[in-house]
Amino acid sequence: MSQQVADATDKQVPTHSSSPTKRSTYIYAAVAVISLLGLADATYLTIEHVTGQSVRCTIIAGCSEVLSSQYAVVGGMPLAMIGAGAYFTVFALGTLAAFGYKITGALLNLLVAAMVVVSLWLVYLQAFVIRSFCQYCLFSAAITLALATLLLIRWRKP
Amino acid sequence: MKRILPFLIILSVLGVALGSAWYLKRSSTANPAPPAADSPRPTTPALIAPGAEPPQTSGPATAPVKIEEFGDFECPPCGQFHPILKKMQEEFDKNLQVTFREFPIVQMHHHALAAASSAEAAGLQGKFWEMHHLLYDNQKAWHEQFDVRPIFEGYAKQIGLDVEQFKRDINSDLVARRITEDGKRARSLGVNGTPTVFMNGREMPFEVIINEAKLRAAIKAEIESAKR
Repeated sequence: MSQQVADATDKQVPTHSSSPTKRSTYIYAAVAVISLLGLADATYLTIEHVTGQSVRCTIIAGCSEVLSSQYAVVGGMPLAMIGAGAYFTVFALGTLAAFGYKITGALLNLLVAAMVVVSLWLVYLQAFVIRSFCQYCLFSAAITLALATLLLIRWRKP
Repeated sequence: MKRILPFLIILSVLGVALGSAWYLKRSSTANPAPPAADSPRPTTPALIAPGAEPPQTSGPATAPVKIEEFGDFECPPCGQFHPILKKMQEEFDKNLQVTFREFPIVQMHHHALAAASSAEAAGLQGKFWEMHHLLYDNQKAWHEQFDVRPIFEGYAKQIGLDVEQFKRDINSDLVARRITEDGKRARSLGVNGTPTVFMNGREMPFEVIINEAKLRAAIKAEIESAKR
C-alpha cells in the first residue's frame, strides 16, 4: 500500500534532476549495483561449500566453524546458493525497476525485507549459537542492510 | 531497444555469475601439474623448506605413494580425515608412506599447539604415531576442555611414555623447533589450512581426501602409474 502511494507520488512530480522519479531510478540502480557485491560474495561461498573447501580449518577466512555447521545447509541446499539466488533476483528486480517496471519495486521491497529477517537470524546464530563469525557472512548481512536502507530512503516521502 | 535493455543486462550478469562460478570451482578442484620425474615437488625445490628433520613418517621410504599431511590435531576435518588415512595405510601397507607435518592453527584452536607439542614430545620417545592416533581418536573429548595438560599426560602414560620426560619435552626448544620447521615448510608450499595433503608432491583436493572411495582410487592410480 505504502509502495503504491510512493509510486503515485513519483508520477505526479515533474521530471528533473532532484525529482522523486529520477531519485527512484538512481536508488533502484544503486540497489542493482550493490546486489552484485552480494551476488559475488554468495557465489564465492557457494563454490567453497560445493568443493568442500569451506569445511577445512584455514588461517585466512576463519569461516569453517560457521560454514561447516548444520545451519549452512537448508533442505540439502547450501544456504550460500540460496543467497546467491536471492541476490541475483534483487539485481534483476532492481534493474527492471530502474527501467520503469513498477511492479518489480513492490516485489523488491518484499524480497529485501525477507532477506533482512534471514540475515539478522544468521547473525544471531553466529553470535550466540555457533559462537564464531564468518566475515563473508557478515559482509552479506551488511549488503542486505545497505539494500534495505536504500529502499527505505526511497520509500520515505521527499 | 530500451524495453529489452534491462533483460539483456540481467542475462549478461547471469552469464558472468555462472561463468565465474564455473571458473572458481574448476580452479579450486584442479590439481597442480604433476612434478617432473626428477623433482619431488611441484615448485622449485630450492624454495621449499625441508620441514622438521627427521620427519614423522610411517611406512617404507621405498613406497610408490608418499602422502604428506599438514594437520592440526584440534581441527575437526583433520579428525574426519584421520580414520580414512588410517584405513588406507592398512589397505595399501608397503605401497604407502605417510608423513605428518605439524600445522597448528593457533588463531582458531586454543589447544592445537599443546596437542602438536605432545605428539612431538611423544615422538622424542619413539611413540609419535601412538600419540597421534590417541589425539585424533579422542579429539572431541579434549577439544572443549579448559586444561588439556592432564589429559595429554594421561595419554602419555597410556602409551607407556616416561611421563616426567614427556612433561619436560613438551616445553623443550627441540619440540618448538620441530613445529616451527614444519610451519616453515607449510608456508613455503602455500599451505593455508588443514588438512592439506600432498600425494607424491601434488596437492590433493579436499573433496578427494575426505572421500574414502576417491582417495583409494587416487592411491591406486599412483601405484599403477609408478609401475609403468
